[in-house]
Amino acid sequence: MVREASWSDARAASTGARREGTAATMSARDVRLGFGSVTVMEDITVDLPPGSITALVGPSGSGKTTFLRSLNRMNDKVRSFWREGEILLDGREIHGRDVDPLVLRRRVGMVFQRPNPFPMSIQDNVVAGVRAHRMARRSAMRDIAETRLAEVGLWSAVADRLDDSPFRLSGGQQQLLCLARALAVEPEVLLLDEPTSSLDPRSTEAVEELVRRLTPGITVVVVTHNLAQARRLSDNTVLFYQGRLVESGPTSQLFDRPSRPETARYLGGDADPAVLA
Amino acid sequence: MVTAVAAAVPLGALLAAVAVLLVEALPAIRYDGWHFLTGSAWRPGNYYGNPVRTGGVLHPVGASYGALPLILGTLESSVIAVIVAFPVAVGAAVLVVEKLPRRIAGAAGFCLEVLAGIPSVVFGLWGVLSFGPWLARDVYPALTHLPNVPPLDVFHGPVGAGEGLLTSGLVLAAMIVPIIAATTRDLLRQVPETTKEGADALGMTHAEAFRTVQVRWVRTGVLGALVLGLGRALGETIALALVSGTVLSSATSIYGTMTTVAATIVSLLDSAQTDPTGLAVRALAEAALVLLVITLGVNVGARVLVRRSARGAALPIGAGF
Repeated sequence: MVREASWSDARAASTGARREGTAATMSARDVRLGFGSVTVMEDITVDLPPGSITALVGPSGSGKTTFLRSLNRMNDKVRSFWREGEILLDGREIHGRDVDPLVLRRRVGMVFQRPNPFPMSIQDNVVAGVRAHRMARRSAMRDIAETRLAEVGLWSAVADRLDDSPFRLSGGQQQLLCLARALAVEPEVLLLDEPTSSLDPRSTEAVEELVRRLTPGITVVVVTHNLAQARRLSDNTVLFYQGRLVESGPTSQLFDRPSRPETARYLGGDADPAVLA
Repeated sequence: MVTAVAAAVPLGALLAAVAVLLVEALPAIRYDGWHFLTGSAWRPGNYYGNPVRTGGVLHPVGASYGALPLILGTLESSVIAVIVAFPVAVGAAVLVVEKLPRRIAGAAGFCLEVLAGIPSVVFGLWGVLSFGPWLARDVYPALTHLPNVPPLDVFHGPVGAGEGLLTSGLVLAAMIVPIIAATTRDLLRQVPETTKEGADALGMTHAEAFRTVQVRWVRTGVLGALVLGLGRALGETIALALVSGTVLSSATSIYGTMTTVAATIVSLLDSAQTDPTGLAVRALAEAALVLLVITLGVNVGARVLVRRSARGAALPIGAGF
């Protein structure tokens, strides 16, 4: 694997960078995605402006998670996965020969549907990525952990048990821990795959509030089944249906003045996919 | 009521085993005292002369039982087996789960399970007829050319004919590799995909992700598997009776002939029964008691170790061992 200079530098970059102003633009141009002989998504062209929150919505099987996972090349590992078209991070193709996928994933972080802490202490969880990317000295790890845990609002809850197992935390706290872990490597884009679908309403609120606080320092893309969440959280919304982009634009416009009847029907609350056919 | 009985069965069986061995061994314990654990000579005495009585125990003239070579042989061969088997077994398991294509991995896993079920006498025969002679002819001579510095200097000395300590350790290793490997493989498979993806999503390399997630997820259980293998090695009887050389003394070098507690019991029981005073059989019972205590000690020690490391591992409840 060849790590071209500027990308390698990004991996080795110190922790000094401030969140403000590091948000990156992502965009997709005529993207087609599939597995083997099956095309999962086609004709996807969309911009994710820097510092914005974009919600990807659509019925189950519409391809939104597949699309999200292709933004940080998490699908690379999946056998028979293929992609056509361009996916750009700050104007540069993320599949370029000079792009190290490891650096890409540091710049484009991801949080999953279910909290997935590592089997190590709470503090080690937060700094796991920092350690892997050698972004800071060993002696700085505790401070980094504190900063990130405070950033996600978890510090007061775990300050006296940093060496404990994360699995004794509640589901919501575990998800916040995973967010802290993702933020610790200072990503420019954060991908959230239904981050609150396994959480109770209070934890959901905590995660949403955090996501709002993170912008505009960071670009957020969130897949959600919860249309109310998309509406209250996102700046822009993209509606997928059966592997195609139905409509995208400012959230208020999509919800209040959709330009396509399918959008009106889906966002209007009638989630039966049949009405879109 | 039923559960209480069911729970009492294993405990009762263990206590019964200890009690029976203790009763059987009592005359030998009274006769030999601590010398049984420290002495190096295993002499049944003269079966054909008139027995004499010492300390209330009737025994052949000249009888003296020291089991130290047996105990050392047991520990040494098992330690060699574990040292050799552990990296091989864990490496094989990692290869099967992480590297091999799924179809080949399935076949390899099946082979592991079959290997684990091979009767030990087959391993013993293979060791004495084929593996041991091959080692003595083609491998051991090369080992003697290793640099003469610790710890490599243990490989210097006469290599013998292929029966002895190192051969015993290697045959034992071949027997416990499948046990450790199969357990490790199952543990690695239980690591949740989503946790591994979490490491990938942070931009970790494959090796970093493996260290961060899989290693921590399975290490407690792998330690348990290691103890399982060690337990099997300590108690292994027939294979060692065939490849150890079964001489009643400690190995003089790593290639030297030796014996273990279990191998001694099985190879001497026949002749011990001709002792008119019965002391020879009592001595073997005492040896069996010692083996039982060693095995129990290893298991209890391992349990403590596993519990301690499980506390540090921070696994979700119910994961690991």
